[in-house]
Amino acid sequence: MIEVRGLSKNYGSTPALREVDLHVPRGEFCVVLGPSGAGKSTLLRCINRLTEPSAGDIRIGGKRVTGERRQLREIRRHLGMIFQDHNLVPRLSVLKNVLTGRLASMPVLASLLQWFPETDIDIALQCLGRVDLADKAYSRADRLSGGEQQRVGIARALAQQPGAILADEPVASLDPKTARVVLGDLRRAARELGIAVLCNLHQVEYATEFADRIIGVSSGRVVFEGAPGTLDESALERIYPGLARHNGESHPSAPGVAA
Amino acid sequence: MSSGYRFVLGRPRGIGTIAGCVLIAGIVAALLTWSAQALGLSLGELLKGLPWIGDLLSRMLPPNWSFARRLWQPVLETVQIAVWGTLFGVLLALPLAWLGARNLSPNRVVFHLTRQVFNLARGINEIIFALVFVAAVGLGPFAGILALSVHGAGMLGKFFAEQMEEADRGPIEALRATGANAAHTLVFGVLPQVLPGWIASTLYRLEVNLRTSTILGMVGAGGIGFELVSSLKLFQYQDTAVCVLVILALVMAADYFSSKLRARILD
Repeated sequence: MIEVRGLSKNYGSTPALREVDLHVPRGEFCVVLGPSGAGKSTLLRCINRLTEPSAGDIRIGGKRVTGERRQLREIRRHLGMIFQDHNLVPRLSVLKNVLTGRLASMPVLASLLQWFPETDIDIALQCLGRVDLADKAYSRADRLSGGEQQRVGIARALAQQPGAILADEPVASLDPKTARVVLGDLRRAARELGIAVLCNLHQVEYATEFADRIIGVSSGRVVFEGAPGTLDESALERIYPGLARHNGESHPSAPGVAA
Repeated sequence: MSSGYRFVLGRPRGIGTIAGCVLIAGIVAALLTWSAQALGLSLGELLKGLPWIGDLLSRMLPPNWSFARRLWQPVLETVQIAVWGTLFGVLLALPLAWLGARNLSPNRVVFHLTRQVFNLARGINEIIFALVFVAAVGLGPFAGILALSVHGAGMLGKFFAEQMEEADRGPIEALRATGANAAHTLVFGVLPQVLPGWIASTLYRLEVNLRTSTILGMVGAGGIGFELVSSLKLFQYQDTAVCVLVILALVMAADYFSSKLRARILD
């Protein structure tokens, strides 16, 4: 579903991504694991071209993202994104926020005048149901808790009826309990609906707990790829260079390293 | 451990820097003194003139309350000028604001051009605009409304544009990522964020317009200002007093209600 080949991104002369290849099939929950500044965000943002890649070929469901701008909107329509700070529109209701996920599929003029097709409203409500927030549909988005807001973010992405979802550190600002609810919701929906998920995380714990497969990134390069069970000490050392030296001093970016 | 006080500047400075500061202070003082002389600032003149102020004030008393009956119509007109002036100002400002917002403007040239239009409209006083429009459409409130509209569009356009520039980029980016088009992004991503600020700015502009529309009449552009000036010219100072008091009440009421409303909206 998500195919990336030879993706590179330079900021000026500083390389952020170097020749990244990856492939995520339908229904897989693939975690990109790596320290802050490894290029995880850049990788995700290049895939839907919120950031312009410097080189490489990116395809979603076989369609080239790196082609013409014109086609980009059509590809984005079926490519959901979940942000670290959820990026909901404050002051809008939860339902309307989820409906924004369907805007690209609606008649423009009617929706600008706040007339939405019943079918789209039904889809939005269903997606809210998937994250257990159907009862909050008419609350203002900025009145919800952080965890609830992120689940609305998931519902918005699901409302796009996407083939793939990009999740950029979706639980970075949540407490451990809420983070597990959010990641659980995302993984369940992805499995049931056959969506390919590429999810950035920096916590090893969550990666081993939720991922079908882990891709380790360090300094803009893929340094590990495999099932959670194969993520051993040496793999971690490649992803988090210098981690072993700090072990016993409880390294902040790797809580409870899985052996 | 020592006690006492120490004078602490930002960071330790050499004697050269201090000398520089003293020099600048000296230059500023010299400039102020020079301009005060040129402008005829003089406490003595003011003190000498005080009895004349007292004389004028005494001639205003007691206010001629019966004159108030004749002011209903002009007061109503003043408020109407302010309301229509604000409405036209908003309508003019809305499309311009979008062109003048750095993050939404179609290109740099349009952005800078629009900002200059705002500066021009704001830079020229309403009274000057009123004189121009009186010449164009004749004496009366319509000229006043046009004057307030143009000046207000400059101010509101700038405020609206700056509020759009300050809108959180996150939600806008999220909308773009769903494949939504520019119009959708504006209506669902930007508008909900800026609308409270826009309403607050508009209310503030209404306050300003009400204050200004009380003097537009001085140049024949409608409203209570005309009564004020005529009573002064006819030496009917007791009538003038009533005009001033009515204007005061009007402006205070507008400020009160507008600030109450703004506080509620911005919550």
